Amino acid sequence: PETAGWEETSPLNQKRLKAAVHYTVGRLCQKIGEEHRREFSRQTIAAIAETTFRECDIFAQDLEAFARHAKRSTVSAEDVKLLARRSSALSNHIQNKSEELAQEQRDSRKKSTVKRKSRDTEEETSDFLPNMHRKIGA
Amino acid sequence: MAEKEEEVCFKKETVSKLLCSSFKEDKTRLGSDATLLMREMLKVFVQEAALRSLKQAESEDCNRIEIEHFEKILPQLLLDF
Repeated sequence: PETAGWEETSPLNQKRLKAAVHYTVGRLCQKIGEEHRREFSRQTIAAIAETTFRECDIFAQDLEAFARHAKRSTVSAEDVKLLARRSSALSNHIQNKSEELAQEQRDSRKKSTVKRKSRDTEEETSDFLPNMHRKIGA
Repeated sequence: MAEKEEEVCFKKETVSKLLCSSFKEDKTRLGSDATLLMREMLKVFVQEAALRSLKQAESEDCNRIEIEHFEKILPQLLLDF
């Protein structure tokens, strides 16, 4: 099902969205912090949440432009892949995820056991974009 | 970590509301496959932000990740996404 026509501009709903983002960002940071035995300051979590929220605005505008360029009114997975083009590591990751999601869809239709790729291992956080974040602090 | 990995991620509904609220045209819609992929994209964005900030803090011998660490890695993060 597609999503549209929701009361987006209401300030209260914006606040709710920000809070939802903040919550998930907080949990992700907590998890990463635990795995590395360090703690994120509340300020940092809030900053990451705020940045993520703002990035979504940019992502949405780009996605809309891509879809429109392809003469579609519905944003598709192909548009998202285009969004991820700036880094090959990111692009590959999104491509893989897209294939994985498509496979899960096919598997659930066949009603056979869904074969989960081992993406939820302990080292999950360093697997995603191995080349990207390991450059820091070298 | 011996306990079962519980996957933290954004709710589908949150992702679609977030994106749809920024569309300029009424007729623009978000496909469900695109929503799922964007959920992943946002998760990766947050993880990269957090991990790079953490690595920055580690390189400065700090035990706590402070906003300064995030600020230092932010420009490159935005360039990569």
